[in-house]
Amino acid sequence: MDSVQKLYFDALVIGGGIAGLQAALDLADQDFKVAVVERDTSIGGKMIRLSKVFPTLDCSSCITTPKMAAAAHHDNITIFTYCKLNSLDRNGKDLTASVTQHPRYVDPDNCIGCRQCEYSCPIYVADEEEGGFSARKAIYIPFSNAIPQIASMDVENCILCGKCQKVCPTAAIDYFQKPEDFIISAKTAILATGFELTPLENKQQYGSGKIPNVITSLQAERLLAPHGPYNRVLRPSDGMEPDSIAYIQCAGSRDKSMGISYCSRVCCMYAIKQAMLLSGSLPLVDITIYYMDIRAFGKGYEQFYQNAKAMGIEFVKGKVAAIDEGENGSVALHYEDQYRGGVVTKNHDLVVLSLGMIPDWKPEGICPISAASDGFIQTVRPKIAPTRTDMKGVFVAGAAAGPKDIVDSIAEAGAAAMEAAKYLVEINRDRAA
Amino acid sequence: MATRDNHVREGKILILATETCAYPGADSVGQAHSSYAANTYILRVRSPVLFPEQFYLDCFKKGISGIIIMSCGEECPYEGAYKALAKRVDRTYQLMKAQNLEIRRLRLTAICTVCNRAFLNEVNQMNEVVRELGPPAIGHGA
Amino acid sequence: MSSETKIETNPEKIGVYICYCGGNISDHVDVEAVRDRAEKIPGVSVARTNMFMCSDPGQELIMEDLRDGVVDRVVVASCAPSLHEMTFRSAIYRAGKNPYIYEHANIREHVSWVHHGEKATDKATLLVAAATAKAGLLKPLEPIRMEARRHATVIGGGVAGLRAAKDLADRGIDVVLIEKSPFLGGQTAQLDRIAPTGDRAADLISDLAGQVLQDDSIAVHTCASVEKFEGYVGNFKLGVKKQSAQTNAQQILAQLKPSGKKPGEFIPFAGLYPWPPPASDEKFSVETGVIVLATGFKSYAPYHGEYGYGELKEVITLPKLIRILAENNTAGSCLKIDGRNIRHLAMIHCVGSRKIPGVHPEDESGNLNEYCSRTCCSATLNTANIIRETYPETQVFEFYRDIRTYGRGQEELYEQASRNKVIFLRFEAQDSPEVSKNSDSDDFPLRVKVRDALTFGEDVEAPVDLVVLVTGMEPNNVSELVDMMKIPVGADRFLLEIHPKLRPVELSVAGILLAGTCQAPMDIGETCTGASAGAVKAAALLARGYVELDPFVAEVDLHTCNGTGACVEACLNEGALNLVEMKIDGKKVKRAQVAPAFCLGCGACVAVCPENAIDINGWTLKQYEAMVDMIVSDDVVA
Repeated sequence: MDSVQKLYFDALVIGGGIAGLQAALDLADQDFKVAVVERDTSIGGKMIRLSKVFPTLDCSSCITTPKMAAAAHHDNITIFTYCKLNSLDRNGKDLTASVTQHPRYVDPDNCIGCRQCEYSCPIYVADEEEGGFSARKAIYIPFSNAIPQIASMDVENCILCGKCQKVCPTAAIDYFQKPEDFIISAKTAILATGFELTPLENKQQYGSGKIPNVITSLQAERLLAPHGPYNRVLRPSDGMEPDSIAYIQCAGSRDKSMGISYCSRVCCMYAIKQAMLLSGSLPLVDITIYYMDIRAFGKGYEQFYQNAKAMGIEFVKGKVAAIDEGENGSVALHYEDQYRGGVVTKNHDLVVLSLGMIPDWKPEGICPISAASDGFIQTVRPKIAPTRTDMKGVFVAGAAAGPKDIVDSIAEAGAAAMEAAKYLVEINRDRAA
Repeated sequence: MATRDNHVREGKILILATETCAYPGADSVGQAHSSYAANTYILRVRSPVLFPEQFYLDCFKKGISGIIIMSCGEECPYEGAYKALAKRVDRTYQLMKAQNLEIRRLRLTAICTVCNRAFLNEVNQMNEVVRELGPPAIGHGA
Repeated sequence: MSSETKIETNPEKIGVYICYCGGNISDHVDVEAVRDRAEKIPGVSVARTNMFMCSDPGQELIMEDLRDGVVDRVVVASCAPSLHEMTFRSAIYRAGKNPYIYEHANIREHVSWVHHGEKATDKATLLVAAATAKAGLLKPLEPIRMEARRHATVIGGGVAGLRAAKDLADRGIDVVLIEKSPFLGGQTAQLDRIAPTGDRAADLISDLAGQVLQDDSIAVHTCASVEKFEGYVGNFKLGVKKQSAQTNAQQILAQLKPSGKKPGEFIPFAGLYPWPPPASDEKFSVETGVIVLATGFKSYAPYHGEYGYGELKEVITLPKLIRILAENNTAGSCLKIDGRNIRHLAMIHCVGSRKIPGVHPEDESGNLNEYCSRTCCSATLNTANIIRETYPETQVFEFYRDIRTYGRGQEELYEQASRNKVIFLRFEAQDSPEVSKNSDSDDFPLRVKVRDALTFGEDVEAPVDLVVLVTGMEPNNVSELVDMMKIPVGADRFLLEIHPKLRPVELSVAGILLAGTCQAPMDIGETCTGASAGAVKAAALLARGYVELDPFVAEVDLHTCNGTGACVEACLNEGALNLVEMKIDGKKVKRAQVAPAFCLGCGACVAVCPENAIDINGWTLKQYEAMVDMIVSDDVVA
């Protein structure tokens, strides 16, 4: 039997999104050795997939890529992408993580990121990175600013035609690559496993994702990204430039019918941001945001909201009860009018559901750590040590501990890194004694 | 390799691209394999606020036909630099006018790390200007 | 670093290394033609090509030439510098040479992927030529290294300051904590039961302050303030004054007696009182490596007449109500204040927050708090729930604009309030509720009138016994620190970070960090998070005992500088450039001097020097001029 490779680090960060990267950087800058384990083929998390970010309207890539590059080039950080965490347990004073490296079918040491394989591949698959609005190949680098710039083969769709192997200048294609298990041993860990959007399928009243021209907020991000799928804002069903766009707030938050009673914290602000960006690219468009409460609570957020109102974006207070397919690709939306009373129906060319956040990872069966009733990782001292969990030496940062915007996630990452650093100092002192 | 044709000497465009915004922006255009005119020469700069008015005038004197300053705009990492830059470009325009240099040859713009379309637009527009005006001739008008 | 040492440059020995990138470059650029032309460029001693320059054999080519003394400047023409500039610099370093003798030519992203044929080859050649022109003018550079004192100073003894101080001490850093008042705990001490966890403020402060006071590596100074500031990151010097005659000291002592509390204990609505103020004024100085600002907030004080505040005695603020509830011992089914039954209680949200220019008036100083104070919705609902559950006959009306229970466990407070039959009335910003004396015959002293948006814009009047103004947060006035340390302040008057996402707890003054509500409104958990995030940056700065900065800073050529001072004026970071008197060739003269610790390397000074006597190391104007000369040259591609 092959012996499984064991790698030693001071700290292990689970998740290579903005929270995980910030936590890793804050530890590595103190000369601790850090491993980052990321499930996707690139680090960067949800943030790298966004268009611009509120309230500064900075381009998201411009803010994320420097942190991605800083982590990737840091002497004290080792990044493991496309890896699965099988288990994380405590072994006395050490934490042991069992990890599986998924096969990319591309030798990462030889791949130079030239994408010749991608260009030669004859297969087109809907690109989930672009909200499914454009196509990718069966062997591909996930997006232009991905780190690492290594191609991965999607074996579900590959037809084994061999074209990529023929064109690869470094003979990096390896159809026989196998998953590889390895062990990471560390003294402390930070969980930065992030969030995913509430699934549309669970909300029948909103069409369960089947009504054309009802898109998710992340799809809208891609429509708005400067390097997005269409290079402009179009309605997906027929390529029409929409004249009226609606945002439905709390679609999958504060909604007991979906089992999600909490507020997802970011949806008000991203909807306002997207509305502003939309009015920039489609100057004549009418945008309506249907909301319950506008929660613009962060630094500079309220001012951002008031600016949006001043720009002419319409805010209608009222929970949208249901939506269905309208005429000519439009979407009919039924809501209770707060000012006149009664249920009103309105048609829009394009509807964006401001979906909320649910945890992207559950510790169950992997790690003896508790999740709270909301499904996110439980913290035990939320007031004075907010990143502590009920597992000693394991801390949590970002949306893994509940919905959070980027600013708050980054702050929490710093705090978790502080806790982890203190823990490392403490156990090293214990060892020396 | 194709044989060298006797092509008309093409005006050269100098692009000063900030290392945090526009330079990676040009990389992003490359990653997208979006073709643009090859008469463009991109120099990486920390901040274009470094260049005195004379630098631009000298470039035109040396035969550069157009200059695009691709800054970070309001996202400039050096507080106050963009404002100082904008003022300097204004003064450079005055000096250019005094030397009968068409001020459209110098353009200040902001390009982000993924602003592919904006980058291509700027390059195309400057090329139109350069094609229309031909090479600069300081003191002789152009 | 000495600018006097002339570094030997040998412009004859530039090595050019051009990458095929396995076809990515060579499919569109005739790499061998570029090599042939590069070899002829003056100063180039060797030009080589490789299938993958970034591979080990490719790097070895360069290292071998360096070791053999064949080259002393390196140009690699390959992909974007973001991918491999570091790779080649580190190869040079591994060959025992200075990594700054390197210049990169980007002939993939900027050439072969966007141009084709002969034009691509010509452009690649010119970019290589430009890179060699710069390389010929490069000199070896050393990172600027400054010793850093492994010591931190925390200003402010609220939860943020306490949290940051304890974090740094646990990390093995000596800390001085400076608190203006005689108490620890800051504004948290003004609270009782905290939403949504139900923690007691007293317990939180006693826990945190207790840990701080017991830690030998933290020196706590109450009644103290910073009055002098000098130095730079790693080496700050602070002058601190401890005052004996604290205005409120007497009041506190008076408070101590009836409560039976002794120094060292927590005093409700004051804080933890570690020890009495000093007997006489004291002054001392602190030498410190980093400074953490935890100067906190103050509760917004309504102006006279704002919703009747100051005019009608039945109008109070939320902090006041919280205190009354905590100190109120009268049991009963109806809340009683000063012997008066409070049957109907109105809470008005967003007092001193979410102001809109043109809708709300500015205060006397011209300020308008446009921001949301973030914490008040939950604090109000928490208070409403406590009242409804303790005094079921006290009815609570909430007049609000938006309920912002965004945090974990907060939405539940809102639901709980609905279950508790708190009555919500929603108003638009331009239709603020009106509070007036009740002239009706019923015995409620006040009435609150509002256009209620929840009932389709109906005008609603509520007769009430008490109006509670939900006041928001305002930053503490720290103008003295701001002036001394030259800290940027935002339009909202909170301290302004460099960038909310890239560098959220750092200020433009290196080595000064932010913790908690001096930056923006936050609740207690968020404050501790912010404080730890500030502390971790401080810990990283002090991790190695020195601070290393990029060598790309301005350098003055003292022989050409004639002391006009134009650079000092143009400098964007105060303190980076100064005119100083010095002796040159026996003569006393004024010359510009760079403080490398402050220099950002932007080059604003370079453009304005009439003598071209100042330049940015690694990015000099001459280098750019030489590059342009190459780009316009027709010889290279001939």
